[in-house]
Order: sequence, then C-alpha cells, then structure tokens
Amino acid sequence: MGIKIVPRYGKSLKDRLYLPAIFSGMKTTMSHFAKNLKDTSNIKTECYPEMQPTDITSRYRGVHRLTHRDDGSIRCVACFMCATACPSDCIFIEATEREDGIDEKMPSLFNIDLLECVFCGGCAEACPCDAIRMDTGIFSFVATKREDFVLNREKLLANKAFRGEL
Amino acid sequence: MNTILVVVIVINIILALLFSLGAAPILVWVERRVAGFIQDRLGPNRCNINGFRLGGLIQSFADMLKLVFKEDFKAKAIKEKFVFTLAPVIVFVSAFLSYMVMPFADNLVIGSQTFIMQGLPINLGALWFLAFAGLSIYGIILGGWSSNNKYSLLGSIRAGAQVISYEASMTLALVSLLVTYGSINLVDMVNFQSKLLFGFIPAWGIVIQPLAAVIFIVTAFAEANRTPFDIAEGESEIVGGYHTEYSAMKFGLFFVGEYVAMSASSALIVTLFFGGYNLPWLGTDTLKENFHTVMLAIIVILPLLSLLFGRWIVKNNVWPSKDDKRNNESKWLIRVLILINIVVIGILGCFLINGITETTTNIAVAIIQIATFAIKLLLMNFVFVWVRWTLPRFRYDQLQNLGWKILLPLSIANIFLTALVVVGLGV
Ligand code: SF4
Ligand code: SF4
Repeated sequence: MGIKIVPRYGKSLKDRLYLPAIFSGMKTTMSHFAKNLKDTSNIKTECYPEMQPTDITSRYRGVHRLTHRDDGSIRCVACFMCATACPSDCIFIEATEREDGIDEKMPSLFNIDLLECVFCGGCAEACPCDAIRMDTGIFSFVATKREDFVLNREKLLANKAFRGEL
Repeated sequence: MNTILVVVIVINIILALLFSLGAAPILVWVERRVAGFIQDRLGPNRCNINGFRLGGLIQSFADMLKLVFKEDFKAKAIKEKFVFTLAPVIVFVSAFLSYMVMPFADNLVIGSQTFIMQGLPINLGALWFLAFAGLSIYGIILGGWSSNNKYSLLGSIRAGAQVISYEASMTLALVSLLVTYGSINLVDMVNFQSKLLFGFIPAWGIVIQPLAAVIFIVTAFAEANRTPFDIAEGESEIVGGYHTEYSAMKFGLFFVGEYVAMSASSALIVTLFFGGYNLPWLGTDTLKENFHTVMLAIIVILPLLSLLFGRWIVKNNVWPSKDDKRNNESKWLIRVLILINIVVIGILGCFLINGITETTTNIAVAIIQIATFAIKLLLMNFVFVWVRWTLPRFRYDQLQNLGWKILLPLSIANIFLTALVVVGLGV
C-alpha cells in the first residue's frame, strides 16, 4: 500500500507571518469589488419585483392546480389519495356524484390550505389521475387574511401551468 | 473674542461633527455596499426619496429613523436600569470625544491669529485619543454586566480582556512614534511627515516606522471591535455579545458608536502614518508657495474626474424598469456635478486672474487639506470595511496569543530600536 504524504502548511516563516495570506485574501476581495464597481451589470442580483425570475425549472413545486380533461371538465375523481398522502393534512375534499357520465365521482369541495402546506409534492405524487399538479411556477402568494390562503376548487382549476399544458 | 475666532471655532466643531457623526450613516452605507460588491451582490439600493437613492445612502437614514421609532424594550430581569441606560451613552460619547483632537488641516493663520484646526483646541493629541478609546470599553463592560444575561456578560468580558491586551501594544507602538516625532501634538506629527526622506519619498509614518504602523493598525482594529477581532459580539457563539439585550436607539447608540470609533481610529491612523492632511510631496508651505500651480492643477483635474464619475453614473446608475422615477436621478446628479465644477473653477479662475491675498491662500490651503484628510479618512475606513469582509474572526486563544506573545514583544523591541536609531543619529 502506498503512503500518501499530506503536506502540512503553517510552519514556514511566510505562513507564520500571517500577513502575506491576509494580503492575498484582500487582493481577492478587492478584485471582486473593483470588477463590480466598474460595471454593476456584472452582478447577477435581480431587482426582484421589477425583474421576475426567469430560471424556474419545470420541476419547481409552486402553488397547486387541478388539471382538466380534454373536454375541459375536472380531472379529479375525488379518490382522496392526495389528502391521505399529505403530511400536513391540508387538503380538504368532499366528494359528490358525477352526473354527466364521464366518470363516477368528482369533488364538490377541494380546499388546500397554503398556510399549512409544506410544498412537499406528495399530493401530486400520489394522484392516480394526474389531476393535481404543482407546475404553476407561482412562488409568491400573499394575502391579508388567513382565509384567503385557502385555495378552493375554482381557484385551483383556474391556475395555469407555468410552461403551458402538457 | 472676535468674530473670526468664533466663526473658525464653529466651523471646526461642525467639521468634527460631520467627520464623526455624519460619518456614521455614510460608513454604514459604505460597509453594506462594499460588502455587497465584494460578495458579488448589490447591497441596499432601493430606498429612495422621490427617486433619489444616492447609491443607496438613503437606506442608512431610513434605518436610523427606524431605530429611533422602535419600541425601547427592556427585559424585567434588568435591575440596574441606570447603568443599563448609561452604557451606550458612554460608548457613544467616548467614541465621539476621541475624535475631537484630530487635526483636519494645518494651523490656520488669519491676520495675526493662529487657529488649531481640530474639534476642540487642546494639545493633548494622541493621549486624548488613547484615554477616550480606553474609556469606551467601560460602556461595553457596564452594558454587558447590567444586561443580566450570560451572553452579554461573556461578550463584555471578552471585550474587556481584548482591550487590555491590545491597548498595551497600541500604546507602546505609539511610544515609538512619539520618540520618532518628538511630540505628542498631532499637528507637529503631521508636519514632521510633510518632509521628504532622501529627497523623494514622503516621510510618512508608515515609511519611517513600518513595524509600529502594522502593530498600531492591527491593534486599532481590535480597539474598534472590528473583524477579525470582533469576538465581543461573535454572533455565532454568544448571540449579539454585549448588546444582546439592547433595542431601539440604545442599540443604535452602540451601533453608531462603533462606527464613530472606527472612524476615529482611521483618523488617528491617517494622522500618524499616512501624512494626515498633507498631500504627498506637498507640505503646507510648498502648497502655499506654489498655490497658482495647484489651482491650475485643480482646474484641469476636477473636470476630468467629474467626467469619469459622470460616465460611471450614466453607465451604472440605472434602474431596470425604464419608467421608474429612480431613473431621473442620474440626470440631476450630473447637473449637480456640472454645477460644482462651474462654481469651483469659477472661484479658482477669479483667484488666478485677480491674484490672491495671503489670508485667502491660507483658507484655501486649509480647505484643500480638509478635503485631503476627508479622502484619506474615507480610504482608511474603506480598508477597515475591506478587511472585515475578507477575514474570518479570530479564535479567542489565538487572539490573546497574538496580543501578548507577538504584538507586545514586537512593540517593545520597536521602542528600543527606535530609541537606538534616534540617539545614534542624534536627531
Ligand atoms: S404539497 Fe405536500 S403538504 Fe402541500 S398539499 Fe401537497 S401533499 Fe400536502
Ligand atoms: S387530486 Fe388526484 S389524488 Fe386527489 S382526490 Fe383528486 S384524483 Fe384523487
């Protein structure tokens, strides 16, 4: 077995003087400072509300949406898989009979409390019908009242996919 | 008491206030923006009054305003209410007073009178600074103790131990300077530095006494509680250190006091080691003799600098969305820049054409020196900030080792060396 000799630093006079290392560190920081001062557009910071992020990936878990069937009706069959999978118990579903013959069941009430949601993606994962997704790209949701953070069925259906429907 | 005396004294006090108190918001701004740029961020740049951001400077004032209006919360556990309130005042006042002996310009001669251009006309010089810089630690210790909080107490004990170990080396480094300059009066020291070494190097303290300069600058960092010596408020270990329990403007006083102390340290470093208010190669007398040339030089250099600065503004002072009122700022800044140029060049042009009296020369020289001092001070403060955003914090034992085992022996050796040279050369 070969022996690897690891070089030890800190014993030479230059290291023990400490100042050369400090100066080289200061040189590094100064080069950053000078570069950014000369042309602030070198800085990648986005001035947020004016410049919206453009690099949200397709896997980003934003606010949920309920998807539609080809005929535009709701895809969800109220199977409660998502509500069961949800670790924070924030999906509230009430099922009802579906009269239009497309399927048997659908939710009459479908609420997600975003204040409790931890955006784990478990619901989208659990859904057998691909009826709930988190691909809206909505990362900022603000409201003045607690109640407004509860998204109901209509709002969830109205949310659009960030990169268009697949 | 005559009018000129009163006017000069009032101007001096205003200048001292500007350099110390006025420096605080500017330094906070410099700190945050420089930190941002060093770390490839922007730093505060949004806050504006009717579109005027001044590069983010407005944010400092907004923050100060916030501190003033916040609730001054005091925990019930704090029994020593008076001491608790007194502590930030001590820190602030001593930092502020230590500033008062920094000369912004050479002694000003108007007619038959001579004025000392510093906040308070006292000749104690460096000793005054040491006295008040040492006093500010009482504020930190009292604040930490009266907070009745273990983190605060630890922070203040650390600060106390640190100041004791570094003040010794600082004073000893200063002693070797006193031996070199032969005076404790800061004006004398600066005038000593206006000489030339071997005819071409400015005899600045850093050239004559490099070791003392290094020791003094390092200890000044410790004295001002700045990184890498800011273990007194090492937030990773002891929350906020001595000011954990403070809120609102009491915290604000600690905060401002820290910046004033840093600025005072910079002022002393500039005065002792970087030629103070002197331009390199241009002592007060040289400046007075060649004042016409100096005026011509200013007339040429000022517009060039303004042009560069203006181009920088146009290029960099833009706001992403086009119709934002922040985008109007550049236009106004450039107008102000042009106005300053016109006024300065106009005045200097008048002097050049009509000739200039002795007193006016003296005043103009004083103004140039004040400007020089301000620029040097800003640069030194920048170094403080720059170091803070480069170096990590020392571990406590490393800090004490450095203080007692390295800096103290070095500074004592330096005194002997200096004394030998001074006696040997008979200067
Ligand atoms: S993302 Fe997670 S926490 Fe949020 S609703 Fe879906 S399963 Fe529940
Ligand atoms: S969203 Fe999917 S998992 Fe949830 S109830 Fe509807 S069909 Fe079932």
